[in-house]
Amino acid sequence: MRVTQGTFSFLPDFTDQQIHEQVQYCIDNGWALSIEHTDDPHPRNTYWEMWGHPMFDNPDAAAIVFELNECRKVYGSRYIKIIAFDPSPGWESIRLSFIVNRPSEEPGFKLSRTEIKGRNIQYSITPYSSDKPQGSRYK
Amino acid sequence: MANEVEEKVVKAVSEVNLKEDFQSSGVADILSELDNSLIGLEPVKTRIKETASLLLVDKAREKLGLVSESPTLHMSFSGNPGTGKTTVALKIADLLHRLGYVRKGHLVSVTRDDLVGQYIGHTAPKTKEVLKKAMGGVLFIDEAYYLYRPENERDYGQEAIEILLQVMENNRDDLVVVLAGYKDKMDKFFESNPGFRSRVAHHIDFPDYSNDELLEIAEVMVAGMNYKFNKGSIKAMAEYIELRRKQPHFANARSIRNAIDRARLRQANRVFNNSDGPIGANFLSQIEDVDIRQSRVFSGGIDK
Amino acid sequence: MPDGDKKLDAKARYSAGVLEYKKMGYWEPDYSPKDTDVIALFRITPQDGVDPIEAAAAVAGESSTATWTVVWTDRLTAAEKYRAKAYRVDPTPNNPNEYFAYIAYELDLFEPGSIANLTASIIGNVFGFKPLKALRLEDMRLPVAYVKTFQGPATGIVVERERLNCYGRPLLGATVKPKLGLSGRNYGRVVYEALKGGLDFTKDDENINSQPFMHWRDRFLYCMEAVNRASAATGEIKGTYLNVTAGTMEEMYKRAEFAKELGSVIVMIDLVIGYTAIQSMAKWARDNDMILHLHRAGHSTYTRQKTHGVSFRVIAKWMRLAGVDHIHAGTVVGKLEGDPATTKGYYDICREEHNPVSLETGLFFDQDWASLNKMMPVASGGIHAGQMHQLIHYLGEDVVLQFGGGTIGHPQGIAAGATANRVALEAMVYARNAGKDYLAEGPTILAEAAKTCTPLREALDIWKDVTFDYASTDAPDFVPTTSVS
Repeated sequence: MRVTQGTFSFLPDFTDQQIHEQVQYCIDNGWALSIEHTDDPHPRNTYWEMWGHPMFDNPDAAAIVFELNECRKVYGSRYIKIIAFDPSPGWESIRLSFIVNRPSEEPGFKLSRTEIKGRNIQYSITPYSSDKPQGSRYK
Repeated sequence: MANEVEEKVVKAVSEVNLKEDFQSSGVADILSELDNSLIGLEPVKTRIKETASLLLVDKAREKLGLVSESPTLHMSFSGNPGTGKTTVALKIADLLHRLGYVRKGHLVSVTRDDLVGQYIGHTAPKTKEVLKKAMGGVLFIDEAYYLYRPENERDYGQEAIEILLQVMENNRDDLVVVLAGYKDKMDKFFESNPGFRSRVAHHIDFPDYSNDELLEIAEVMVAGMNYKFNKGSIKAMAEYIELRRKQPHFANARSIRNAIDRARLRQANRVFNNSDGPIGANFLSQIEDVDIRQSRVFSGGIDK
Repeated sequence: MPDGDKKLDAKARYSAGVLEYKKMGYWEPDYSPKDTDVIALFRITPQDGVDPIEAAAAVAGESSTATWTVVWTDRLTAAEKYRAKAYRVDPTPNNPNEYFAYIAYELDLFEPGSIANLTASIIGNVFGFKPLKALRLEDMRLPVAYVKTFQGPATGIVVERERLNCYGRPLLGATVKPKLGLSGRNYGRVVYEALKGGLDFTKDDENINSQPFMHWRDRFLYCMEAVNRASAATGEIKGTYLNVTAGTMEEMYKRAEFAKELGSVIVMIDLVIGYTAIQSMAKWARDNDMILHLHRAGHSTYTRQKTHGVSFRVIAKWMRLAGVDHIHAGTVVGKLEGDPATTKGYYDICREEHNPVSLETGLFFDQDWASLNKMMPVASGGIHAGQMHQLIHYLGEDVVLQFGGGTIGHPQGIAAGATANRVALEAMVYARNAGKDYLAEGPTILAEAAKTCTPLREALDIWKDVTFDYASTDAPDFVPTTSVS
């Protein structure tokens, strides 16, 4: 399966040039860029690991693409996403978030059902990969 | 039909008009601005014009498919302090931007302290931070030779140099590095760092200013601050320049700026002490020869 | 000022009998509204022979303190303060028999935090008043002091996006069709296919409540099975607007609680449940981390005709105060009413922190929202993937695009329909961010994206000629040079 979180997961994976274009759009809007990676793609895993601080002061997208490639060298077998933060009043949150690196194989998620009173069912979703300890989930 | 379109496309790029590119890219404006706003520096201006022409021709050749690889643009500026290296670097950044060699055209100016850290693991992030800020523009490293300290084997400068060289090579499209400093020290630096030597394509020497040029610079600076010289103060300034040049720590235009700043202080003091009634703009802007001649330089002392 | 319009002294004013409204103090041409006043703009069509100023004064009177005759008990009150004041009457630019009347209301006339009380005054009695042929409430200025007494949207656009982990593009939805008759089990199938294919939301229609063919608990149970299956299949957070509209508040709370128990991120109500019920549900939604979707069922009965009723922009303002998170606000290009400029006005009311006066989009007043959350507008009705460039151009990024027929009617099936919409959307946002002139190049961008996406290619082929191009019945009335002073 393909994890389709993020703004552009239904498009073919981006080249570095395409990533550069999207990142430059964010910079030109005054947003700070951050690179985050994880081996736990649960849809409610809000806090992926940060690759350094968000980048606030880089006028050119090459800086972010450069860091992305540094991150890929270390965590190339994980999910990596680029996030743009907008600090303007009334928003102060994320404006764009897209996956730029993914494991070669994505085993997907297990859906567990627990039957409780009546016909009510409690659902929980677990990434198959999270059976293994953190750090050894993807090759 | 398809052939027709193809032919048109081929035709469109089979000719280029260099003169038109020269004007439309804004390169002409920058070069004439360089001519008009910078005093002296004739050899520097010539070198920059040559470089600009080369890059313009390169772009044209690229359009016609005659070259594929982007040229090496990293430069070294050697010369004494105050000879206009930073000012020219700013113009170069703009020039490269207009020519389409850098995307943003900003200048990030740093020294060793901005690149090299104090402890293990400190240097790489620091250097990368600076490089990232400079991407899309020009990184100006003043007194670049201090990065390299062979006498100290625990020095982290070497780490910064390695990252720098790597990025200069791999991210050529993303930033241009200008290394700057004293001529003799730069020469030695390149001798002992073949990595830099092979990656820096343009070496530009900045000569010292002549006394007349410095006087002209002084007049431009004073006018820029909305002050005025008169005959007496110009004469005093000329004498000051002659004396100051012979003293240690002489820094060309920078020494002149410092001298003028001090003269303004003295002028303010004089104006304040002598004003009882209302005074006009004229009085407030006039630098008299006493404002200059009170300098220690005239009594054999040293102005830093 | 003509002599007859002058203010009377107390003796003349309170003598028993009938007096013109404008002489009773409801017409004050010199009045300049206070920052704390509620201001209403009415479009007035007086009966033949009725003076427009007297008509405006009558509206002011009937929507505040007046009755048809003089009453001495006014003198026991600070009547001057409580009287609404018509202070300006302009002929409308395009219709000689219609007038814009500006009326200011003292803040103390209204109970804090109650849409019911606000509307009981402003639209309570006055719309049936005989001397008027027709009356329309065009716009309102709600003072910050009053705005601050309302909760506002339970979740708001920003937190909704954070909860859904979805940024940078419009959200995608679809209403399950056919709107009536599906059993719970079949209904859940549509939800699963649509969500798995790429939509963020599916939606109950306004009249799906609890009927013989599908009772509400069945619907909720099957829908949540579908939502969770789709989440596991995509790694995304999905939702379905479970409509909790019912006959009583008790029943609505019961259904909402069950939706919460099942782990739904969103519930839905219809506008017809009434303002108080809406405010109650908004409060419940805030207390229970729930997004609240409002279907504006019924609004066209009073919003559509230009001379009589309440403009939708006013309804949108009331709903932002009342506290819903989603509101249907028009599509511009789809099958339902929607002049582009007027629709932009609605969207601005939903999404901006501050609305400056903008006559071309129908906003007559400067409106400060005092940091109330933003509402997510929903575009629904007759839209399809081939219009993606226009939809993004007109509606922007913070909107739910609902492709009901445009998803479920896809020849390859529901999931393929959803995928077509999602690919079209992402391709368009990508092109926009990359600096393309996406409005002009829209069809090319879609065709390009369709090269690697068969479902999109089929969608473009089948719906390429579908447009709904009719004259709008509710475009703003303004003369471009008019300045508002």
